[in-house]
Amino acid sequence: MSKLLIVIPAYNEEANIARVVNHLITNYPQYDYVVINDGSRDKTAAVCRAAGFHLIDLPVNLGLAGAFQTGLRYAAENGYDCAMQLDADGQHRPEYIAPMLAELEDGADIVIGSRFLTVKKPKTLRMLGSYIISWSIRLTTGRAICDPTSGMRMFNRAMVEEFAQNLNYGPEPDTISYLIKNGAVVKECQVKMGERVAGQSYLNLWNSVQYMIKMSISILLIQWFRKRDTETPYPERSL
Amino acid sequence: MLDQPIIRVCLVVGSLITAIFVLRRVRLAKVQIEDTLFWLLFSAVLLVLAIFPGIAYWAANLLGFQSPINFVYIVIIFLLLAQQFFTSIRLSQLDSKVRILTERVALNEEKVEREKLDL
Repeated sequence: MSKLLIVIPAYNEEANIARVVNHLITNYPQYDYVVINDGSRDKTAAVCRAAGFHLIDLPVNLGLAGAFQTGLRYAAENGYDCAMQLDADGQHRPEYIAPMLAELEDGADIVIGSRFLTVKKPKTLRMLGSYIISWSIRLTTGRAICDPTSGMRMFNRAMVEEFAQNLNYGPEPDTISYLIKNGAVVKECQVKMGERVAGQSYLNLWNSVQYMIKMSISILLIQWFRKRDTETPYPERSL
Repeated sequence: MLDQPIIRVCLVVGSLITAIFVLRRVRLAKVQIEDTLFWLLFSAVLLVLAIFPGIAYWAANLLGFQSPINFVYIVIIFLLLAQQFFTSIRLSQLDSKVRILTERVALNEEKVEREKLDL
């Protein structure tokens, strides 16, 4: 079995983090994990230290992309075969890790834990953004990604290294569309997600609209101009 | 002034050069994509104003400007001021992050040195 690292980015998740990580440790001790505290203003780091969780504590807030990249750099430097993102709010259920890992070992670069592979995506306002992004990816790559905004993604070793070392590799749908265009094999795996139990979601209406505009412009326009370069070292690279 | 072709050509050229320059930086992975959005939108606005001068005529008339080109100037000035404002906020946040990071590094260093002395 491949050596998997579960990256758990946490920003202001003191209410959820202990439950999520304890569930993972008790029921799935075969996987390694690391909590990345993204400069939280609440007691997330203190809760993790008190419970003895494996923690990387960022001294300033970097945002999801930076926190996740930290986890991938850790995975790359410590010889993991693959890595995945698991949200600290408990929406991502660890029982789906095994089927996702099986898909990855079956020869995928990226496996997305998708809510809508076999289940119909509801036609609600909340899903409008997901529809627009799916449609943009379909239009620019010809590939159908049913749940592009799902944060539950698993990456193989090559992707881990590429994500860990480069600029503009946020764990977002635009990067996925760019990688598909460059020949990466992206598969989806049906999962169920829970609802956030406690704490506040970052996604309000205004943030969602901003995110949608950014993703649409990025996928439809900007990704065409990017050049994939896995050879030349960038200043950002330090592995 | 906006009825003269030359100024419209200048706007089109300016907008295209902006877009090409920004997209080149993206290609070379020298800029984060979120930072390019403003410049691409800015260049789109210039392009639209140059291709459809009717917008500037209509808006200048509505706001009581003497000449439609003044509306174009106002739009450019406003967009640049807004960008300048957000840049200052970003800069100030970066400043504080660098300060916190420097303090963190120095404190860690001190801790390491102290532990060495204790041993």
